Amino acid sequence: MSFLVLEGLTKRFGDQAAVDSLDLVVEQGEFVSLLGPSGCGKTTTLQMIAGFVEPTSGSILLDGRDLLAIKPSQRGLGIVFQSYALFPHMTAAENVAFGLEMQGVPRAERSQRVSETLALVGLAALADRYPRRMSGGQQQRVALARALVIRPRILLLDEPLSNLDAKLREEMQIELRQIQRTVGTTTILVTHDQAEAMALSDRIVVMNKGRVEQIGRPHEAYEKPASAFVAGFLGKTNVLPAAVEQRNGAAVASIGDGSWPLPAEASGRVTVSVRPEKIAFIDQADCSLAGTVRTRIFQGNHWLYQIDTACGLVTVIRQNAGEMMPAEGAAVRLTWRPQDMTVSPAGQDGRI
Amino acid sequence: MSRNGPLALAFHTLFVTFILAPILVVCVVAFTPEGYLSVPTDRVSLRWFRAIADYPEFIDAFWNSVWLAAASSAIAVGFSVPAALAIARYDFTGREALTALFLSPLMVPHVVLGIAFLRFFTQIGLGGTFVGLVLSHIVIVFPFALRLVLSSAVGMDRAIEHAAISLGASDFAVFRRVTLPLILPGLASGWALAFIQSFDEVTMTVFIAAPGTVTLPVRMFLYIQDNIDPLVTSVSACVIAITVVFLVVLDRIYGLERLLVGRGSGDGA
Ligand SMILES: Nc1ncnc2c1ncn2[C@@H]1O[C@H](COP(=O)(O)OP(=O)(O)OP(=O)(O)O)[C@@H](O)[C@H]1O
Ligand SMILES: [Mg+2]
Repeated sequence: MSFLVLEGLTKRFGDQAAVDSLDLVVEQGEFVSLLGPSGCGKTTTLQMIAGFVEPTSGSILLDGRDLLAIKPSQRGLGIVFQSYALFPHMTAAENVAFGLEMQGVPRAERSQRVSETLALVGLAALADRYPRRMSGGQQQRVALARALVIRPRILLLDEPLSNLDAKLREEMQIELRQIQRTVGTTTILVTHDQAEAMALSDRIVVMNKGRVEQIGRPHEAYEKPASAFVAGFLGKTNVLPAAVEQRNGAAVASIGDGSWPLPAEASGRVTVSVRPEKIAFIDQADCSLAGTVRTRIFQGNHWLYQIDTACGLVTVIRQNAGEMMPAEGAAVRLTWRPQDMTVSPAGQDGRI
Repeated sequence: MSRNGPLALAFHTLFVTFILAPILVVCVVAFTPEGYLSVPTDRVSLRWFRAIADYPEFIDAFWNSVWLAAASSAIAVGFSVPAALAIARYDFTGREALTALFLSPLMVPHVVLGIAFLRFFTQIGLGGTFVGLVLSHIVIVFPFALRLVLSSAVGMDRAIEHAAISLGASDFAVFRRVTLPLILPGLASGWALAFIQSFDEVTMTVFIAAPGTVTLPVRMFLYIQDNIDPLVTSVSACVIAITVVFLVVLDRIYGLERLLVGRGSGDGA
């Protein structure tokens, strides 16, 4: 049986749906990320699981039991808030001990578990320090330890790393993943950072305007985005207008002066998205688009091109294999494999 | 640290002088050897301080004032905690109206309040009692207590309480272990401000105080109606001295700035 099941979960504020019939199944021990732009309903979803926001409709089952019937204080979930929400009048150790105290864990076991957990997040030395005298990263660890020490059934993380600088964030990502693997707690992470979601998660839930766009493994969602929105949100992509017509019983998409056989069902005007690193330069071919190099930037391990084409500016990334590459102003032809295209109805350009 | 221009500096100096000068003058006059209000010129004397001992009603009035101020501000702070939490957190209908109602004693002239309370207390049999005084003082100090408690309640991050709840804390445990400690600075400064307001009040109190429940300011007010001598200045000097000692002690054990500015011990550095 599935561990956590969200079914038709909906939250309306007035007539605006912050979360719109969200379905999600999470297995025990899984690390799932809710990913989406600001205001898409990630926090609201998390708060409904935590019990601080009441769903308008839908159900949440944890281990087969109706979670909505349980008070927030009895749900046994560990939460790390974006602002950390540490108790400022308690030391790190007291913060971590709070949950155990509430559970009535005896003093000896309590201090044992507190020091274990502080050691787990690498803060053993700072047990007696107050949060205001800690760095953002250290406070973040205390918040994590405080949530983990009660052995929560699920760990809910609301943008826990967004207040940290880029370098620290990367370190904490690795650490977070390691800790989660060690403890094995089922984890739901809210983030708007696609790199973070891909680096950490077993599966990603891409959300847009309260709805789920795609649920899948990071690699799968990146390679096979379900919509132009997902393609645009997960990594960079080029969005090109195309016209689909039937030739000899097969669908063919015309893009600029080139045409590609279509892998998917479509007709009429569509938009096609292609990732910059999937585009290659070629001398002459059917499946290719003419253009001129506008800018070329060398970035060490790869080249970053902006190409003027009949379909607008196209970004191309080529590995630096030590070969000669087209210079600025050169006429080039761009090609990509049909299966590298994501096709969606026209008007839906994955930009955000 | 702060860079003030010469003009601003002059202004601040004048301003502070203007505020402090009367206090200074009172303290100086208290040491006069003469029988009338004058600045001592050739010698100083403790004559008027010794004179306080001949008027035990000043001492009694002082203690009346202290107990009255302590009780009324404590009760006002007690009431303002639930009121402030409700106003800060919930968006209920009539919230604005309720806030206005709570703050309205600020708008009513104390003379009016004095006459109203005199009439009302006589009617319900509380006329001239200490209980009546406390009740009336609760009304006038409540806005001050509420303002400061409210500002600390509004400034509190709800997520901190949510964190406590998610860790299994009951409503009561959340309040006692998290909410209360976090708004404590607001409570303390609200209490201190309310205390000062009550201790200072004369316009209203003069109407409702009976001979046994007269407060210090009222006693002094009544005294100078009959006698113009430096006794009131020596009493004032004593009150000022007590206040200064009190503030110094408070600063040592708590940090005055934190108390008055209302910054929680928990604020980030
Ligand atoms: N209490 C509320 N009252 C009214 N509208 C709300 C409330 N809380 C959230 N919303 C709306 O619901 C939508 C989703 O909000 P939510 O906080 O879940 O977004 P989010 O995905 O977490 O965004 P962010 O990345 O900015 O944190 C937003 O449009 C927001 O304006
Ligand atoms: Mg959010």
